Amino acid sequence: MANQKSVLSPIPGVFYRKPAPDKEEYVKEGGNVKAGDVIGLVEVMKSFYEIKAENDGVLAQYFVENEDLIDAGQEVAVIIEQ
Amino acid sequence: MIKVNSPGLQTTVQDFGRIGYYEVGMPPSGVMDKYSYIAGNLLVGNKENAAVLEITYMGPVLEFQQDAVIAVTGGVMQPKINDRPVGMWETLQVKTGDVLSFDFIKQGARVYLAVAGGIDVPLVMDSRATYTLCGIGGYEGRPLQAGDVLKIGTENETDIAVGTRISDHLIPTFSKHHEVRVIVGLCSYRLTEESKERFFSIDWTVTPEANRVGYRFKGERLNFVEREQPFGAGSNPSNVVDLGYPIGSIQVPDGVEPIALLNDAVTGGGYATICTIISTDLDKMAQIKTNDKVRFVAVDINEALEIRKEYQNKIQQIKEQIIRQAGGVQNG
Amino acid sequence: MSRYEYGGDEFIFVELSEAMSLEINFQAMAITRTLREEKVPGILDICPSNASYMVRFNPEVIHPDTLIAKLKELEEEVSLENFEITARAVDVPILFEDPWTHEALMRFRDRHQDPSSTDLEYVARTNGFQSKEELIKAITDSPYLVSMIGFVPGLPWCYQMVPNEQQIEAPKYVRPRTFTPERAFGFGGAFAVIYPVQGAGGYQLFGTAAAPIFEKEQRLYDFKESMTFPRQGDVFRYRSISMDEYEDIRKQVENGEFRYLTKDITFKPQDVLENPKAFSESVLRRLYA
Repeated sequence: MANQKSVLSPIPGVFYRKPAPDKEEYVKEGGNVKAGDVIGLVEVMKSFYEIKAENDGVLAQYFVENEDLIDAGQEVAVIIEQ
Repeated sequence: MIKVNSPGLQTTVQDFGRIGYYEVGMPPSGVMDKYSYIAGNLLVGNKENAAVLEITYMGPVLEFQQDAVIAVTGGVMQPKINDRPVGMWETLQVKTGDVLSFDFIKQGARVYLAVAGGIDVPLVMDSRATYTLCGIGGYEGRPLQAGDVLKIGTENETDIAVGTRISDHLIPTFSKHHEVRVIVGLCSYRLTEESKERFFSIDWTVTPEANRVGYRFKGERLNFVEREQPFGAGSNPSNVVDLGYPIGSIQVPDGVEPIALLNDAVTGGGYATICTIISTDLDKMAQIKTNDKVRFVAVDINEALEIRKEYQNKIQQIKEQIIRQAGGVQNG
Repeated sequence: MSRYEYGGDEFIFVELSEAMSLEINFQAMAITRTLREEKVPGILDICPSNASYMVRFNPEVIHPDTLIAKLKELEEEVSLENFEITARAVDVPILFEDPWTHEALMRFRDRHQDPSSTDLEYVARTNGFQSKEELIKAITDSPYLVSMIGFVPGLPWCYQMVPNEQQIEAPKYVRPRTFTPERAFGFGGAFAVIYPVQGAGGYQLFGTAAAPIFEKEQRLYDFKESMTFPRQGDVFRYRSISMDEYEDIRKQVENGEFRYLTKDITFKPQDVLENPKAFSESVLRRLYA
């Protein structure tokens, strides 16, 4: 059975799914990720923090939209371990 | 020595701040939540103005290269020594080689790490506080970076027994909905009566632009009384002839998005200020996060002074508790 | 009518006038200077500003209402007639239309009243000058009173010592810039300023000062006692310089040899108010003698 792992944002701020407005999304839903891959960016206090996958697997779903305001500890995505 | 393995999001060295230089445009900097700061220093037996680390949103990973006595206070962010959870608001012992790390922030926004002896960085204008805009004070005038090594000072005067703890009723709790008390005044005559009323009757949302300089809020547009602008003020109705901004004052540039000015803020400028957060509630501001809701509540000067007294009574209670529990001995 | 206001429980803010004038600024200077001399216990900061002033205090030592009563008394007592200001006249070299502020102001055209011209061209036009050269001449012909310090460490608000009808006025940007180069020379409301450090700003940008007004390393002669150079009451003369002179001054700054040309002066507000032109001329004569 595949394990589901939540990806949480440790900080509040604005969530981005791409590194810059004119760039591709880090990962598409259903895409493969490796531990350490960046899956999103959070902007707060004029600085950016990268959210990384903690395990290998498939990024099954994002729970927040690009540019959504998120809280600290909020679940932003789920990864199904392979 | 303390080695910074990872710095967290924004971790700075702070103390009570740089007082007495406001007239040359130097903001005080210093800790944003003074209550947690004072409690932390008391728990490790430090002198009143010893420097601590102010941690914002995300904790650092710190490796102690000597034995030390520490305390973690402020917002709720589970501290761990060698991955083992330890208490906040409590005197803790760390040994050479121990690694201090933190979990996600659960409540509040800022956490304080006090170390017996204080963080030793050079005094700049009588303070160790970091003011990043000008690169003054603290550790090389900037937030900590991985690889930095902090020296522990000699700003302690009492030995506090490990395990000393502040009782629960003196530990503040933080929600996501805050009441912040202000005194209306300064240039509040510039706002229409209706906007003044609206300012106090809606929930304001904290934007991602919320840091040691100031907090910006989203809500509704506020309107200014129409007038012919006085000479030298500038053309926008929210402009006034450039004046001094009290710490904690709130302005509304162009009527859009109020800004509360905090420890590292500009000391003056050309926007009408409409009220000032009372000193005790500046501590609350420190623990307010992006996305939290804030309701402003107007109090008068006598109420503010009364609240100030209650706050100081609480600090007095902390002092007495610690002395009682630890049977502290004066050094020297 | 002056307004006395609580700025929370630690500040008193006193607005002497809603409009700027030399007379009001001198009055704020006289009141705050007297307050300073009286060494009232519990006062932490005394911050004179353009047409107002602010006092930070410890309410455990002095009750805010006691302090307000004291300040009202001072307002009654203090007279400009026997008030004397000892300050410095300073030569402040400015490179107008420099490449650095030009780059910055072009980057933020969408935040400006007139995206199609430069800040200098815009302010020349709105103040009725035939050309930007005429505006530069008006800015540099008469010296300025440093009427307030603040915003960031050492930023001087400078108010020109000319009759009211000759005052230059400029609106601030519609939305402030997120970037202003260090040492930018700007104009907003009725004030000329130098930005001590890089940062946000809303004033119209005209040029760059060759020498610093803030130096945290405190290497230069003028910064031995303080990281900030300007003091309220100083008289600044902004002098237009060439790129050659600019580069020469930059070299002197870098090797630690630069020193501002200054002369100590003593004057009475009455002298300035009665005949600003004569006062300005006498200051310039003394400065460049």
